Amino acid sequence: MPRIAGSEIPDNKPTRIALTYLFGIGPKFSADICEELKLDPQARAKELNEDQLAAIAGLLESKYIIEGTLRRQIQQDIARLRDIRCYRGDRHRRGLPVRGQRTQTNARTRKGRKKTVAGKKSVKGMK
Amino acid sequence: MSRSLKKGPYVDFKTYRKVEKLNQMDKHEPIKTWARSCTIVPEFVGHTFLVHNGRSFLNVFVTEDMVGHKLGEFSLTRQFRSHTTGTKAQRAASR
Repeated sequence: MPRIAGSEIPDNKPTRIALTYLFGIGPKFSADICEELKLDPQARAKELNEDQLAAIAGLLESKYIIEGTLRRQIQQDIARLRDIRCYRGDRHRRGLPVRGQRTQTNARTRKGRKKTVAGKKSVKGMK
Repeated sequence: MSRSLKKGPYVDFKTYRKVEKLNQMDKHEPIKTWARSCTIVPEFVGHTFLVHNGRSFLNVFVTEDMVGHKLGEFSLTRQFRSHTTGTKAQRAASR
């Protein structure tokens, strides 16, 4: 099994798919990488030789922000919004949707599992 | 969709003029404004704005991190006073 960028081990999928297993590399970047390094996007990841793996690692290092670095950057961006106490930061702090979605219903991804409130009747009952 | 780069950031002209004036005099005093949609530009840093939220003016002290945001983002327009807890009967009893 090839190892790229630390412990990331894409399996015997085509290279263009295997690379998307890295956090921060999607179909677009994956295609870009294959293009730049003249790799066969359809070749299985296990068929990549040492040189190619090294080339991929080098390219990822120099051009892309992936994995831990990217995760940290995202966290920092969110922390910045929180710190300047703007509306978006406030929404992050409260765990509610940030981009103006409705919250009367839905928004379960941000709000988590439904918390049933006793005594709260049907939608009609709430005025 | 984001604003066309050709136009540059939207900055409320009157507010900007006031800031310029204060900068020239090297003074810092709160600027009352209704221009919530005005982008914060680097010249604003260090000034205090009183940004209208529809009801009152909220203090917004502009720091470097806020550049690029709008003034309105820092003056919340909604107020949430937590849901009541317990059943109706409990609430009545505690009253």
